Amino acid sequence: MTITQVIKIDDIRNFSIIAHIDHGKSTIADRILELTEAVSQREKREQILDNMDLEREKGITIKSKAVRLSYKGLNGRQYVFNLIDTPGHVDFSYEVSRSLAACEGALLVVDAAQGVQAQTISNVQMALENNLSIIPVINKIDLPTADPEKVSKEIKNIKGLENSPIFLASAKDGTGIREIMEAIIKHIPHPNGSLEKPLQALIFDSVYNSYQGSIVYTRIVNGFITPGMKIQTMSNKKNYEVSEVGVFTPKRKKVEQLSVGDVGYLTAGFKDISLTKVGDTITNNDNPAAKQLPGYKKVIPVVFCSFYPVENDDFHNLKYALEKLSLNDSAISYLPENSPALGFGFRCGFLGLLHMEIIQERLEREYKIQLIATTPSVLYRIHLKNKQVIEINNPSSLPEINLIDYIEEPFIELTMISPGQFLGGIMELLQDRRGIFKNLEYLDKNRAKLLYHLPLNEIMLDFYDRIKSISKGYASIDYHIMEYQTSPLIKVDLLVNQEVVDNLSFICHKDKAYERARKLVDNLKTVIPRQLFDVPIQASINHKIIARSTVKALKKNVLAKCYGGDITRKRKLLEKQKAGKKRMKRIGKVEIPQEAFMSVLKID
Amino acid sequence: MKFNKSIGLYVHIPFCFSKCPYCDFFSIVTDNKQLKKNYLSALRQEMEIYSQKNKDIEIISIYLGGGTPTTLEGIHLREILDSCYSNFHIKKGMEITVEGNPGTIYDEKIKMLLQAGVNRISLGAQSFNNRILKKIGRIHTKKDIIISYKLAREAGYKNINLDIMFGLPGQSKAEFEQTLDEVVLLKPEHISLYALSVEPGTPLEYLVKKGKMKLPSDDFSNELFLRAIDILGGYGYEHYEISNFALSEKKCFHNQIYWKNQSYLGIGAGASSYIDNKRYQNYRDLNEYVFLLEHGILPIEFQEVLSWKERMVETIILGLRMMEGLSKSDFLIKFNVPVEKIFFKPLQILIKQGLLEENETSYFLTTKGISLANNVFMEFID
Repeated sequence: MTITQVIKIDDIRNFSIIAHIDHGKSTIADRILELTEAVSQREKREQILDNMDLEREKGITIKSKAVRLSYKGLNGRQYVFNLIDTPGHVDFSYEVSRSLAACEGALLVVDAAQGVQAQTISNVQMALENNLSIIPVINKIDLPTADPEKVSKEIKNIKGLENSPIFLASAKDGTGIREIMEAIIKHIPHPNGSLEKPLQALIFDSVYNSYQGSIVYTRIVNGFITPGMKIQTMSNKKNYEVSEVGVFTPKRKKVEQLSVGDVGYLTAGFKDISLTKVGDTITNNDNPAAKQLPGYKKVIPVVFCSFYPVENDDFHNLKYALEKLSLNDSAISYLPENSPALGFGFRCGFLGLLHMEIIQERLEREYKIQLIATTPSVLYRIHLKNKQVIEINNPSSLPEINLIDYIEEPFIELTMISPGQFLGGIMELLQDRRGIFKNLEYLDKNRAKLLYHLPLNEIMLDFYDRIKSISKGYASIDYHIMEYQTSPLIKVDLLVNQEVVDNLSFICHKDKAYERARKLVDNLKTVIPRQLFDVPIQASINHKIIARSTVKALKKNVLAKCYGGDITRKRKLLEKQKAGKKRMKRIGKVEIPQEAFMSVLKID
Repeated sequence: MKFNKSIGLYVHIPFCFSKCPYCDFFSIVTDNKQLKKNYLSALRQEMEIYSQKNKDIEIISIYLGGGTPTTLEGIHLREILDSCYSNFHIKKGMEITVEGNPGTIYDEKIKMLLQAGVNRISLGAQSFNNRILKKIGRIHTKKDIIISYKLAREAGYKNINLDIMFGLPGQSKAEFEQTLDEVVLLKPEHISLYALSVEPGTPLEYLVKKGKMKLPSDDFSNELFLRAIDILGGYGYEHYEISNFALSEKKCFHNQIYWKNQSYLGIGAGASSYIDNKRYQNYRDLNEYVFLLEHGILPIEFQEVLSWKERMVETIILGLRMMEGLSKSDFLIKFNVPVEKIFFKPLQILIKQGLLEENETSYFLTTKGISLANNVFMEFID
């Protein structure tokens, strides 16, 4: 069998669009799709690539997609553009990096009014790490507040972009799109690689389909792939037979072969998505590549929290929903958990806070399950005195204090860009969150870039909202996880009527323990209904009480009259109250409505 | 509806001179004479329908409640009573109560009622503190209470009830005790003592929610309540039901029918009946009520057949309202099964919690159980 390249490698351009949230990534993509006539007017919907409602709503792309476009250049040549859409949030930075690894270039979209933001910079860094050619595009030049000149300067100030030609565009009215298309041909190199070399196909995403299993998005780095070929996923050495290969235009279309430089999809009876890990390499079993492509990492959750259904009966629905969601998201981890206070639920792991929020919203919205989510936690590394090291993601699993040598927690490097006038407030907050100042530089007269190191744990609760309110929404944040560092951490336990409530225990810096304990104890006092006896609420560190409040015993409930006309209503009312009481959770002798936990768990 | 026993008769008069912000009894403020006339005809008509269907109803008590029955002319009240007498068999010497508000009772009216057979007057006094009366929207004063009370006494009534409330906005302990002092000075045979409760849909609920009216805490109200039991007991009043006190032999006969879960017939808009294990409720809408009776149709809006279990639960929670408690033998006779057989667990829990006590004949609330009666009742509900 002789294999020929279907599309000449010189005519292929593989690129991504990278941008800060709301700078117009999806609209630019839409205009490009229109110009290449990949989408008919009938199919046209704003932001074609964002499929999920949540993506549209939050204005971010959660799952990446790849589209093959046909473009006739002004030079008369027919080109194939593969546009790879990337997730637009820090939680998914590994996925982004793998999508970028499938490209030779990237359009960097910057809002003409807002200018360079924290994510702009981290995106550029990631693109440069993947050796991409970057084409900066200043979008929204039609805005009355647009200042392309200023933004140009900001872009040129970014390391690595000093000499890049900058393009102006308005995706809204189509200005500048044609020029961008031509720049893609000119500035982004065509793929390299060899058709003759053994197959190396990079997995940069996959989606689950109940008929075909996992559908893998791939970039052919070397060689070619055809249906019927025996292949292997190199990270786990598992073997499969390719059943279908194809491309998205953006409609799914089967093709006979994907070859070097191509971007497309393949199916091979992968039973579930965990078998097709992002960053893994697929090779030909009969002629295997010597090495896996570089950059593969196992994705591990960094943020954890427990989900409990408000209605106990919903536990099985929750299990089903998590199973369903994880079919398409191998980054979620979940383990069943039992809490005396909240019943049966799951301890779940996520790539970050946004990832957690998205999953919670999907469970509530798509699966209609009312949830109680416990306070998010990071993964702590506990060094025991016996030299053993254990990792815990739930404060309640922390070993007894006398067994612990020291505790490490994950730190992050946080980049923030903000107008100068808010710096004071921002730095104060960061200080309060155990931030370590690293650098401050001014991008221009008004805007500064801040660099801090701080524990991941410190941005878990009420951080983004606080920054938003301090900076009136002008500050942008980006971070990446660094190494673990030793911190003086302690666990605070909460006791209701002398019994420890697992879900309320928390780990924090020793200097903050008292204040948080006080707040929590006071807050609990307001949500625990009065019982027939006094209920002490206590916070303790290593069995020593540090804060206390008391829910006083109930002395009187309604002493209402009751005559002929009141009886039916009275009974109905009691029945209703009883039903509410039955749904309550018991901690020892104390009855607490589950809802009470919701407000308590949100406490900062 | 089929009747087989002696029953209490309740007649509802849904008219008031003004609406109190806390009240959720059904009543309207109107001076539409035609409407009142039509309503009186409808009451008569409703009684006639019942008497035609059931020739042998025996009435063992009559209670004219409201609203404010005394907003009607004396002659009209007499007409209502005459309808009762002419339509039903009447038990001799039975209790006949008319509710009235201070300031709506005049010499002539009260004498006319006495002649018409009324032997018990219930006065909505609520408080003897003018500031508090005004605050809770009452249109009478302390002076009106005393005048009305004395009129009734001088006219010859030997059984008078005063309704008193506690837990009122801005009410201090001293003020409440003073009201109780004034009450016992008048020596009414009967006192009904209610905690002000915020009922859904009332203007009071709105005021409280909006923070425009502040009510004393439950703990404080409970203190007042326990104090009242003490003081009234000292003057010889027997605390015989959660909210009711009486001098010897003057317990309200009619209301005990409710608490013993016996049968009663309610006549009038919004009135409830309990006959043969069925609860009925009439239309509240006055026009609907009048219209249906003009066409000879009983104005029943809602009825409910109680299950065996529901009847048991109601018997218990009503019975426990009385200080003598739930009679074990009455329960056994009514349901053919000892109460312990069905409700062993709740009874034991409540006894252990110190809310309930037991003797050879009955189960009854402890002092703590009285204040927390709802917790007790709820224990019996599935």
